[in-house]
Amino acid sequence: MKFGTRWPPIPAGILIGISMLLAFVVAGRGIGASGAMTRLVAWVQHSLFPAATEQSAYFGKYFAGGAHPLNDYVVFILIGLLIGAFVAAWLSGELRVEILRGPNISSSNRLLLALFGGIISGFAARLARGCTSGQGLVGGAELSVGAWVFLMCVFVGGWMVAWFVRKQWI
Amino acid sequence: MDLAAPFAKTGVISAAMNLWLAIPIGFIFGYALFHAGFTDSRRIAWAFYFKDVGVPVVMFSAIVTGMLGLWGMSLAGLIDISLVYMLPTYLLPMAVGGVLFGVGMVIGGYCPGTAIAAVATGKIDGIVFVGGFLIGSLVFGDFFPVWGDFFNSDYMGAFRLDQWMGIGLGATVLVIVIVAVVGTISMIFVQDLVWGEKDTFTKSRPFMKLQGALVAIAIAVGIIFAFFPTESFIDDTVETPYYIVPKADMTGMAP
Repeated sequence: MKFGTRWPPIPAGILIGISMLLAFVVAGRGIGASGAMTRLVAWVQHSLFPAATEQSAYFGKYFAGGAHPLNDYVVFILIGLLIGAFVAAWLSGELRVEILRGPNISSSNRLLLALFGGIISGFAARLARGCTSGQGLVGGAELSVGAWVFLMCVFVGGWMVAWFVRKQWI
Repeated sequence: MDLAAPFAKTGVISAAMNLWLAIPIGFIFGYALFHAGFTDSRRIAWAFYFKDVGVPVVMFSAIVTGMLGLWGMSLAGLIDISLVYMLPTYLLPMAVGGVLFGVGMVIGGYCPGTAIAAVATGKIDGIVFVGGFLIGSLVFGDFFPVWGDFFNSDYMGAFRLDQWMGIGLGATVLVIVIVAVVGTISMIFVQDLVWGEKDTFTKSRPFMKLQGALVAIAIAVGIIFAFFPTESFIDDTVETPYYIVPKADMTGMAP
């Protein structure tokens, strides 16, 4: 049995679950992706407007006591994630600069929708205190009510607008 | 209790070592995301059309693995669960955030982790999505006073499904395993019904046998868990700072 580039979903999911378990055992917390990106924008904004960012009701906590916003667990997870995905694609010969889209949409429209979807997701992940991994998977494993409500609402939201953007994908 | 895990909180490893170890943990996460096919925005978006139900199946498998591992280690006395950070529930903000997140996911084709993995493999739409995600995060933070009160509303502490349903934690774990298995089978059924059988590779015989065995193991472990009372997994009378996040937590303080 050769796994190749694309694994069947259950073994792939189990490996993601194992990375989450390792974080529980080593760090006593879960994995995540969106938190590091929030810290990144806080850091960039701080380099431009230090005083305003330190006084910010939301970003200020990242700088409390002279802390550096990027010196945090979630940032190191994200660095590992970048390297891991790069190495996996490289070993599979799948490193390609390309724009992924359905057959019925132009590249520029696809990029416009990617930007628009990104903005909505970025806002939503902050409101929900996490994204699919940090809130959904970790909270799901911890049996958190909020995480399961979040996950179900993600699919409700997706299905609500799926029909309107179908030309992008199918 | 004098348990070794979690290592960073029992002093087995230093805080600096904990950060370094996050890199190999993230590496495994990213490596698995690529092989799950999640660096391809189409595969993620197709989940919402039942054209490729890989996303929910991978998510179910990851949750069940993490869940059985975490609570199993606690049951076996290998990890001090009171030192594991439990995510608090803010019900309404999480529900609204979830709906918006799903909208963004089907429009953008990624979620944050998969977008970062896509960036690492050279996908331009992934780079643009990440750019948008950073803008969205910035807007949330800079205009925080506008929605800060809502963000902090409906707080329920570290509220678990077993407490909500009023059944034992072990039984809840079994319920989740069953939900995952039934959900997976029914979604694959819908996919085949609507789009026809196309995926012959990952549904080849050896793969199905392997996956069947893994599902059987998960169900067996879930059944064993169901026999244990909640107290053997977690002591709910202990409220450590890691377990219950106080209402006035740092992350939510509006001025």
